[in-house]
Amino acid sequence: MGWWGDNVPEETLSRDEATRVVRRLLRMLRPQRALIIVATIILVGQAAALLAGPALVDHGIDAGLLHKNAAGKIVGDAGALNLSVLVYLALAFVGFVLGRIAIVLVARIGEGFLRDLRNRLFGHMMSLSLDYFETEKTGKIVARMTSDIDAMEELVSQGLVLFVQNTFVFVGAVTVILIVSWQLAVGILVIVPPVYLGSRWFRTVSNRAYLEVRDRISSNLTTLQESLEGVRVVQAFGREDSFINKFHRTNEDQYEANMETVRISSKYFPIIEYAGVVGTAVIIGYGGWLTTKGIVTVGTVAAFVLWLNSLFEPINQLSQLYNTVQSSAAALSKIFGVLDTRPTVRQRQAAIDLPRSGAVDVDHVTFAYGANEPVLHDVSLRITDGERIALVGPTGAGKSTLAKLIARFYDPVVGTVRVGGVDLRDAEFISLRQRVIVVPQEGFLFAGTLRDNVRVGRPEATDAEVENALRVLGLLDRFTAFPEGLDTEVRERGSRLSAGERQLVSLARAALADPSVLILDEATSNLDPGTEHAVEAALEHLMHGRTVVVVAHRLSTAARADRIGVVYDGRLAELGSHAELVDLDGHYAELYRAWATHQAAPEVA
Amino acid sequence: MGDERETKQQKSARKEAAQLEGKQTRKRGWRLMKETVGQHPHLMLLGIAAGLVWAAARVTVPLLAGAAIDHGITRGRTGVTLALAAAIVAVGAVQGVGTGLRRYAAFGLANRVETDIRMRLVAHLQRLHFGFHDQAQTGQLMAFANTDIQQVNNVVLLVPLTIASTIQMVAVVVILVLRSPGLALFALGLLPLLNFSATRFNHRMYPVGMQLQKELSDVSGVVEESITGVRVVKGFGVERLQRKRLSDEADSVYDRSMDQARLRSNFTPLIDLLPALGLVGILWYGGHQVLSHHLEVGDIVAANLFVVMLIWPLRMIGMLVGQLPRSAAAAGRIDSILATDPAIADAPNARALPDGPGSVRFERVTFGYGRGPAVLDGFDLEIAGGEAVALVGATASGKSTVARLIPRFYDVHAGHVRIDGADVREVRLREVRRAVGLVFEDTFLFSDSVRNNIAFADPEAPNEAVVRAAKLAGADEFIRELPEGYESIIGEHGYSLSGGQRQRIAIARAVLADPRVLILDDATSSVDPSKEHEIRAALAEVMQGRTTIIIAHRPATIALADRVVLLDGGKIVADGTHERLLATSPRYREVLARAALEPEAHSGLEDAELLDLPGVGD
Repeated sequence: MGWWGDNVPEETLSRDEATRVVRRLLRMLRPQRALIIVATIILVGQAAALLAGPALVDHGIDAGLLHKNAAGKIVGDAGALNLSVLVYLALAFVGFVLGRIAIVLVARIGEGFLRDLRNRLFGHMMSLSLDYFETEKTGKIVARMTSDIDAMEELVSQGLVLFVQNTFVFVGAVTVILIVSWQLAVGILVIVPPVYLGSRWFRTVSNRAYLEVRDRISSNLTTLQESLEGVRVVQAFGREDSFINKFHRTNEDQYEANMETVRISSKYFPIIEYAGVVGTAVIIGYGGWLTTKGIVTVGTVAAFVLWLNSLFEPINQLSQLYNTVQSSAAALSKIFGVLDTRPTVRQRQAAIDLPRSGAVDVDHVTFAYGANEPVLHDVSLRITDGERIALVGPTGAGKSTLAKLIARFYDPVVGTVRVGGVDLRDAEFISLRQRVIVVPQEGFLFAGTLRDNVRVGRPEATDAEVENALRVLGLLDRFTAFPEGLDTEVRERGSRLSAGERQLVSLARAALADPSVLILDEATSNLDPGTEHAVEAALEHLMHGRTVVVVAHRLSTAARADRIGVVYDGRLAELGSHAELVDLDGHYAELYRAWATHQAAPEVA
Repeated sequence: MGDERETKQQKSARKEAAQLEGKQTRKRGWRLMKETVGQHPHLMLLGIAAGLVWAAARVTVPLLAGAAIDHGITRGRTGVTLALAAAIVAVGAVQGVGTGLRRYAAFGLANRVETDIRMRLVAHLQRLHFGFHDQAQTGQLMAFANTDIQQVNNVVLLVPLTIASTIQMVAVVVILVLRSPGLALFALGLLPLLNFSATRFNHRMYPVGMQLQKELSDVSGVVEESITGVRVVKGFGVERLQRKRLSDEADSVYDRSMDQARLRSNFTPLIDLLPALGLVGILWYGGHQVLSHHLEVGDIVAANLFVVMLIWPLRMIGMLVGQLPRSAAAAGRIDSILATDPAIADAPNARALPDGPGSVRFERVTFGYGRGPAVLDGFDLEIAGGEAVALVGATASGKSTVARLIPRFYDVHAGHVRIDGADVREVRLREVRRAVGLVFEDTFLFSDSVRNNIAFADPEAPNEAVVRAAKLAGADEFIRELPEGYESIIGEHGYSLSGGQRQRIAIARAVLADPRVLILDDATSSVDPSKEHEIRAALAEVMQGRTTIIIAHRPATIALADRVVLLDGGKIVADGTHERLLATSPRYREVLARAALEPEAHSGLEDAELLDLPGVGD
């Protein structure tokens, strides 16, 4: 059930880190200052209304029920009683209204904060350079935006109001009882330290136990997942029983870990309940004795019994919330880590638009990923406007890196890459992304319609322009033939696009963007025969009149280019037309000969 | 217009059917929960018994407090006051023990039930036939075993707790009514509203919560696609477009969260208001009764305590009411899986597999997956014991299906599949599976040591046997190069191996099982061609005297077989030696040529790919 927190912090922050996180959080909340102040006042008012209740019971009993006449005989005073009742009634409603407002107000602050945080974090992620996405695991990056923010969502949606409310109620209750009767207050407050210590013990021990539970759950689920994914192998080898036994063990482990938390809470909750009862006994016994001394009244004793609840309940609730607060802080700290990551490729202040020309000049470029060994050494390559260049070479030789540098996914460590004569480091981002387009290997589709997906090429394009881009590539009929034409949802079941069709969408996107320089990363895998031809034809249309750099995986593709660059071991080893390179008798010639013989293989074998 | 009415009728009929189905699912869920809870009566009884003790003690405390005020404090009798205070302390101890035990029993019971059901579910899943797993999604089955069972836990837990709370509530009502019906009315009259609104709140909160979950998953959808498609996003510079989409989703999350907050603001403050109104009622009605000497001050204090005491039990009942249908539905979903019988199981009079050389025979076999079209229709094939046959054919020609019918992963619709003369349906399943070793194209290895993966069929196998199997599969060399050799943990949390390395371990696993019939279904497709010849040599040794069926495309691998069977559309279109088919069957040449164009050797060097992929259409 877990009303004491299913949410266990992944790692607890050190005190320093926690302080830093809280400071930064407060800074981020500054724009909401006015709302926060109003909410605080309302919550204080609500706590006051709650705590005033027992005081009115006190007054009702002493001034109403036990009112003594001048002779000291109890005669009662209906007027005083009725007044107490009316005020109590009014305060109860005031508290109710304030409570309602507070919940909405705090939600507005918290949810607003989360909305801004989502936007800000995502915006920042999108501004980061490609190297960030290549070094960090996708799952981890996604988790910052999902599970980490969701962890805070829980705090904001439920915990935040409770946290503030309970803090105010507790502080208020202590203050009130001290004011009403410090003697009796001291009597009860003696019980607070053991309760506090008990809560702290519970927090630590249950925290540890829950971490254990989470570990066991995850290993149990891993076993389960493996047994499901590998069920065919298990059955093929007739090993069902051994797997069932294995799961039995991890399943019982999970049970045991759960039982540990049950045992812990079975010890803690009796302590809390018992403390409450002892508190009542102290108020009755000690308070009763104090009444005989004339130090407190009977009404005060009755009121204290009620205040007791306002004293213990917050401790209980706060210790349950502790974990939620902790995990939120840990999540926030991780999010800050992302926000502090600076993009490595940035736009200069006085950036200029790229000209229309598609001439590319790679000028003595050396490049390395991070602090690693250079992947490219002093590479120079001039590509004239409208020329088609194929880059070939073994994996890891650097041909893809070279292509990415031309698109300024990275900046060279040494040397310069120019497009249309402009150093890419001086280029304005939007114009860069219009002039130089990379079509990746796999046709990647976003959720949305076919039309939306093509429009990614130029978000402001009209429907007619989208259709025109498809028409130019000879694809319009193909896609309008879909059940809902260009409005077909690509991710919906039943309209799944084949790899080839996805690639076609990807090409149409590039056509819509209408770049001067087109960088193609040729697919390594073959496409379905039905679309293979369409892709070839569309590519031909797309490449027409543009500078093209193909990262080629097939020699047949390479052979069609105007010039071929052989990238070998981080250097541009050979450069020239197919015929020139075959004559040169180097790496390319060797590859080509091997390929040519193999091509005939099935017939000969 | 008539049509329209009909659709409306259909719609309502469909809705009714769905409701009925939901009802039946819940009913089955109930049965499953009752059945499992029934296996642990002692925990349930302990929970209820401890709950009774707890309730009795808890109810006594306000009575003692009231008595202390009336008989002790207001009369100045300190001795009586202190004695009653001491009694409260003693009763409190009983209450404490009671609460500890009842919680232990309730949570323990819920955990036990959760663990038992999960065990049953998983054991059952392990035995369900391939056809079931082909259609089931792993993620969904995982959800059954995780979140759905958690729902069951939630409700089982609340049952004993709520029983005790209800008893306590009844006791309080009785006590107050006996003392003063009017006071009881004013103190408790409004409290059922708390229960009522808790139920309503849970009921209304549920759909909003689901909507919020959906919006949150939409957010993660946008994030996920932006990150996985970051090259496209960056390539086209459409970061702004994605940001806009995210901000729309973030707005939706905000709106749904605020809906939730507003709902909560309707309910949560009631938790404070309703008891407070009870206290006001007590003060007013009770106060005037005291003034008219019908009640005493202690009664007011006791009534106050009773009201405060009932807040949690009432909320809990509300929670239980909200939880019940959800848990029943979850349990029903689990039960529907438990009710699915394994379609492939031993026949009642299953016999042992007769001894033999491992001959395989398909007799007029007809088979299709699920309700799909027939993949094989009247298929005949005979493979002699010890023979090596290559099955060749284009995608969907039925060759993998043939491979899967031999170990009886599926049952034929008509005809017979025989191993050494015995129909596989009449033989003990275990023996069929042991007699046939199948290496799949997409190899699945377990997160375990290399050794244990190879010795999967026989965990007791001596190390020499494991190494020998690895050598035969051409895996020994790279295994030794792993940091911990055969003890290296592989899989998700261990060393990642290339596709070719994984396939070689899978072959070793099958070799170790020493089956009569070895089936290699595209089992070397990811092996780097430069390494494949090593395996080929070793495979020849494995195949010696063993019936072997090879599904492959590479001519060199096919050449290992004595005989090639060419399949097309579920039929044998050519049968003979590789050389003969090359010479006589244009279709065979075509299939091989097309296969040469298919992607292979992702693990290999790009040089190899360049060599292997001429990339010329037809």
